[in-house]
Amino acid sequence: MLRANFIRDRILECRDEKLAYLAIHNHGGTTSVSFSPDDYASHERGYPALLDVARGVPVGALVFAPRAVAGDIWLPDGTRVELVDGSIIGRRLRRIGPTLPSYAGSIDPDFDRQVRLFGDAGQAILAGATVAIIGLGGVGSLLAEFLSRLGVGHFILIDPERIEGTNRPRVIGATRWNARTWFTRDPWPKWIQRIARNTASYKVDIAARVIRRASKHATIERLKADVLDPKVAKRLLDCDYMFLAADTMRARLLINAIVHQYLIPAVQVGSKVVHDKDSGEITGVHTITRPITPECGCLWCNQLINRAKLQEEAQTERERQAQRYVDEQTIVAPSVITLNAVGAAQAANDFLFYMTGLASDEASTAYMRFDPRKRSVSLDSPRRSWDCTECGIGPKGRLARGDAGKRLPTFHEGD
Amino acid sequence: MTPDVQDAIDEIKQHFRGLNVLVGPDKDGGACVIVEGVGLGAPYAQPDSWIGFHITHACPYADVYPHFVRHDLSRIDKNALGEAISPGHNFPQPGVVVGDALPSRPAIQLSRRANKREPNSDLETPLLKTLKVLRWLMSR
Repeated sequence: MLRANFIRDRILECRDEKLAYLAIHNHGGTTSVSFSPDDYASHERGYPALLDVARGVPVGALVFAPRAVAGDIWLPDGTRVELVDGSIIGRRLRRIGPTLPSYAGSIDPDFDRQVRLFGDAGQAILAGATVAIIGLGGVGSLLAEFLSRLGVGHFILIDPERIEGTNRPRVIGATRWNARTWFTRDPWPKWIQRIARNTASYKVDIAARVIRRASKHATIERLKADVLDPKVAKRLLDCDYMFLAADTMRARLLINAIVHQYLIPAVQVGSKVVHDKDSGEITGVHTITRPITPECGCLWCNQLINRAKLQEEAQTERERQAQRYVDEQTIVAPSVITLNAVGAAQAANDFLFYMTGLASDEASTAYMRFDPRKRSVSLDSPRRSWDCTECGIGPKGRLARGDAGKRLPTFHEGD
Repeated sequence: MTPDVQDAIDEIKQHFRGLNVLVGPDKDGGACVIVEGVGLGAPYAQPDSWIGFHITHACPYADVYPHFVRHDLSRIDKNALGEAISPGHNFPQPGVVVGDALPSRPAIQLSRRANKREPNSDLETPLLKTLKVLRWLMSR
């Protein structure tokens, strides 16, 4: 029996932290669950008064069975809603509701061979999934190809850039015409080269074509804008999974924040070739796949967001040039499709096994580093700091705070 | 300006109470800031300087650097200003500040950047970074 004082104190804590107050208990059964008439009667007796105490945050109850959950939630405006479904996140995603979810509709027979791995239900989950790909260059275009052929139903593609000739060997679906290759090089006059570059195809349009070629049913949202644009960042909140294939510090910061604040998993993928500045000798080649999930340490905790680079990226080109940091940035990094493919394939597999529930409970959350020269894979276990400003718990951190949490690190939203 | 940038500027104004703090917002939610009349003296020939810096929209996560001070800064001992102190700059760069809120002025650049932060430590605010740079400048 919960005493009134105990409940009141908990609700006041929730009010202070802008959290919903939910009383949770269990019932018998396995795959379905509901409140008893006594439960409902107690809600109707007590929740109007609790709403008065809560002053602006919801109150309610959840009842669980091993594979089901039902909810009776009272909103601040007096509206009462039932929980339709919930997601249990972790190594794998589990969707539960008052009854087992049903997956109606027929599965395209073309998917037969993969349905034999994850079943009709798994295929239906992929068809209902919304993924965001941030950056549609070498890694992102491969992800668009893989995910669309897996049967993912909804895509949000984010990249403000147009394709260039030097991208073409790595970007799936890119043609010479997309890049206006002939007109962007000497001997054409500079003004023609400029026009050619300014009329080259957007990377998101090329990726959309790739997706459409693989799947006529997929819905595709193309955002030719910076992911830090507040309107673009907001679109990410509707995703089931995010693929970070644009390796800027500010994109890392934003995606990292969304993962922990809104409990939407992501993966960061990139390849790097390191060479000795003096001799030019190659000292390292690797591809990295970093899962970013609410259950493991974040990119900020793990020192993977460089504060100085964040500052440089937020400055204007003219500022960077004047400050003479531009020299470092004009070095064009090597990039090779097969290196990207290793990371993209691992990231797509992580997504696939997470979404379909086939991932093992013992699945590693480590960052994976593939070294093709040594033919080796190494694992780095992410550290976690519970008082981290990003993945930490409590008001200082973002973990699970949703809309009540801190402002996302986007550009400023204009008045 | 973003709320974090505004908070950082409020902290700076609070610390440098009595000094003139000029603020020029940029287009992304950051701002260029100049604090005028910061005390110098030995080892420098000038009794004071302004100090300027760009707090970008990535505040509080981004390091605030570089900093800028008066263009005619010189040492009493006539020695060169030394490493990471470079003349011939302007602050703010033209086009960064929206409108005419903060005209560009000739400056000396102080390049003190921090790539990493200490794990589990609080973020260094633009004020703390500026005070650290001033301490460093006076220790040259």
